[in-house]
Order: sequence, then C-alpha cells, then structure tokens
Amino acid sequence: MTQSKFENLSAFIDGESNESSVIEQLKADKESQDKWSRYHLVRDCLREEVAPILQFDIADNIAKALEQEPAIVAPKTQKTSIPLLGNVIPMLRQGGQFAIAASVAVAMILGYQQINQPQVDPTLNTAPTLGVGGINGGLSPVSLEQTRPLQQSDFVEQKRKINALLEDHQQQLLLKSTQAEKEAEEKEQEKQDNNK
Amino acid sequence: MLKRLLFLSLLALLTAANTVNAYQAAVIEGVNYPANSPEAWLLKLHKGLNTLNYTVSFVVVQPNAATKPYLWRHGIVEGGTMEHLSLLNGPGTEIFRVNDKLSYFEPNSVPFSLKSKYINGPIPIQFFKDPIALNEGYDFVLVGRSRVSGKPAQQIRIVSRDGSRYNTTVWLDQETGLLLKMDTLDRSGQLIEQLQVTSLQVDEKPDPYFEKIDPSRLPEVSGIAQQNEIDFLWQINWIPAGMEIIKKDVHRLVATSEVVEYMMLSDGLVDVSVYISKANSAAKDGGWLIHESNTLLSLNNGKVEVSVIGKIPAQTANAIASSIGPSS
Repeated sequence: MTQSKFENLSAFIDGESNESSVIEQLKADKESQDKWSRYHLVRDCLREEVAPILQFDIADNIAKALEQEPAIVAPKTQKTSIPLLGNVIPMLRQGGQFAIAASVAVAMILGYQQINQPQVDPTLNTAPTLGVGGINGGLSPVSLEQTRPLQQSDFVEQKRKINALLEDHQQQLLLKSTQAEKEAEEKEQEKQDNNK
Repeated sequence: MLKRLLFLSLLALLTAANTVNAYQAAVIEGVNYPANSPEAWLLKLHKGLNTLNYTVSFVVVQPNAATKPYLWRHGIVEGGTMEHLSLLNGPGTEIFRVNDKLSYFEPNSVPFSLKSKYINGPIPIQFFKDPIALNEGYDFVLVGRSRVSGKPAQQIRIVSRDGSRYNTTVWLDQETGLLLKMDTLDRSGQLIEQLQVTSLQVDEKPDPYFEKIDPSRLPEVSGIAQQNEIDFLWQINWIPAGMEIIKKDVHRLVATSEVVEYMMLSDGLVDVSVYISKANSAAKDGGWLIHESNTLLSLNNGKVEVSVIGKIPAQTANAIASSIGPSS
C-alpha cells in the first residue's frame, strides 16, 4: 500500500499520472509531503540543477522566524497626536488654493534677492523723503542687505511673514470685486429705502 | 493714373471714416466732454470693454519677474455677457464670468465661484465701471497718436495729481477704444509694469468658445462669512487723495495664522492692503522690498507692526504706515 502510494507520487511528479487522489494525499499526509520534496531534490540533483545552498524547508524557517519576532514592533499611536492633526488639516485645506502662489512667491523673493544683491538698484536704496526710525534713519530694503546682521532663523521667519502677507494681499484682491458688489447693493438698498 | 487716384481717394475716405469715429463727443450724466478729450476717449474705452465681442492676447511684463501671457475673451451672449481670462504659462488659471458670477479654476484647488460683475485681473476694474471716476486722484492728459499692436492708437496719460501714486499711460485703439497697451511708470520714468496687447480681434458675434461653457455646470457661489461689528484698535490718519477705505476686517493670515487688522485702500486703479498686528519686539524697525510690481513696506513703531502692500511708491506706503494711530 505504502509502496504504491509513493509510486503514484513519483509518477505524479514526473507528469505520468493525473490522479487527483495524489493531491489529496499530499495535503493530508506528512510523510508524502516529505517524500515530495525529497523526490524533487533527487530529481534536481540528477539534473544538476541544485542550488549552491540547500534550503530544505523554507516554509518552516519562515514560520520559526515569525514566531521569534516580537509581537508588536511599532509603538501604539498616542491619542494626543490627533488634535494636532485636526489643527493642521483645515489650515492646509484653506491654504490649498493659494499654496502654489505662495511657493511661487518664495521663489520669486529668493530670486529677487539673489539677482539684486550684486547690482544695487538705486531706486531701492534711496531713502524716501519721509524717514523711518530705522537703524540708519532711512529705509532699507528687506533683504540680505540689512545693515543689522540677521540671524538665520530671523531671516527665515521674515521670509515666511512676507510670503504670508503677499499671499493674503492676492487673496484680498480676488475678493475685492465681491466687496465692491456688496457695497453697491447696499447703497442701492439705501436709496430704495430712502425713496419709501 | 486712374488707379492711383482711386487708391488715394479710398485712403482719404478711410482716414475720414476713422477720424469721424475718433472725434465723437461724449455726453455722460449731463456733462458734455468735448470731442477728442481724454475723457471722451476713456468713455469710449468703457463702452468698448462692456459692449463689444473681443478676443485679446496680451502679456504683462514686470521687471525682475517672469512675463505673463494671457488670453482674454469677452462676448455679448444671449442673456448677458460672458468673459474668460486665462493665464497661459504654467499650470494655468482660468477665470470665467457669466453675468455676475465669477468662477475660478486653479490647479490644486477646488473650483469656486464668487458674485461679481468684474474680473479683478490685469485690466483695472475701474475701466469697466467708470473710468471718469479716476479724476478724484488723477489728471487725464491727451498725448498723441502712435502705432501699437499694428493699429493706430491714441495715447492718454493718467497722472497722479499729488504724485503719491505711479503714473499710468494707456494706448487705446483708434477704432474701438479698446486697450492696446498700458504702462505703469514711477516718477522718474522707470517702468513698473507693462501690459502689451499682442492681438486684438473684434467680431460681430461672440467667440464660439462661449457656446461650450455651460453656466449650470459652474460651481455654486460660495458665501463669504459676514463679520460682526468689530472694534478696530487702530486707524489710518493719512490716505492719499482719491483713495478710500473699501474694506476693513480682522482676519487670520493663512500661512502664519497670525491675526491681523486689515484695511484695503483703493482709488480704482490700484489697491493697497494695510495689515496691522501686534509688534513682536519693542525695537523700532522697518524695511521694504518690491515684489513683482508690488511694494511691500513693513514698519514697527514699537507698539504695532504695520505692513503696506500695493502698487504704490515706497514713500506713499511709508506715509500710510506712519500715519497709523490708535482708533479714536
């Protein structure tokens, strides 16, 4: 019985048998499974197709490795981080439509400063007639040409502020026409009310 | 010989027709502006902008900034007017106007609509609304004629009366009155910004492009949150002649989430934003820069930090910023 079992298996591996019972047998029988891999190994050896390093039981090795692996690698997400996320997302949403403009503005300002550093623009450096209480008593361009040595963080902060302002100005211009509309309507309404 | 005579007479006829067209007197609100006065020309511009079907290509040039090409269409369609302004470089921004609904399509953002009769783009809104109203702060000077964009054009200077703003020169199409070129210059004649039309096409019928726009598919008009009455802590004590405060609110800057008191000044030609926030340091400080054609001036008087942004000379920005005082 056993012998015929293995004969069937051998025939199946060689493609000489189509018996589906062999598959069922393979699934159920540990001994057949071992034979299955051994037959394959023997065949590979005969055909000189053996890999340089023989890994007889990859599946088992992986199973063992998994067992040895610590159950939880990453720490649990702390709940405290959620409010932070909540704060960030609406801001990003609001900023979405102007985000591009802002990044462009950064680039433009950077570009502007770099371009303008070597060649000093006379219109930029002439202090206007009305002086400001600055270091030199006059106006100086907001750029790296500041007489006061700027801290790096200072500069970044300033750039961020400038961008925020320019961005908001663009947004306000966009909304301006709506504002004018509303006022015109209100005036119209007032006129009508007065006529009554 | 006969041919030449015919040609000459034809030329004369054409010139005469042009002249008649150009020298139309204009009467508005009881005021009669003499023919060939700058006012009559500006009214012609106003009428042309609002009543003609046109397709215009133009570029906006600013020193130290990339040139921006635009395509601009205006059409008189069934049930009103339609307008389309498209920025042709980069990812593109499309603005559509169907009567008083303005829809913006920008990359990386959800399309939205506003209620407005005008696109606040490179062409000043006041040219559409009432160009004569600019005389509050500006003088109009008729200069001469020249050839612009391949067309005979009338040059008009719009000069800031008190010198507190840049001067603008416009070239208007002799035939239609439409804008062909607009230069913004500072007092020393340096170019701040230039708008140059590269092609102007005026048609009997609106551009077939407008047929493709389905107004029902444009985004809904989004409401703008109304603010309650706010007590403003600061006020501007000096406003250039012809300018007025057209907007006042308190809002948060998107990028830095800083709360600012905001005011917008406008004379119809330029819009100026004034931001007032609490000073971070007590040290008096100030600085300014020019970004594209906008002047940005920041002033810290020890108590507040005032920032002024707009297409105005730095001196004017400084004067506005320095005039900020506690609200009375």
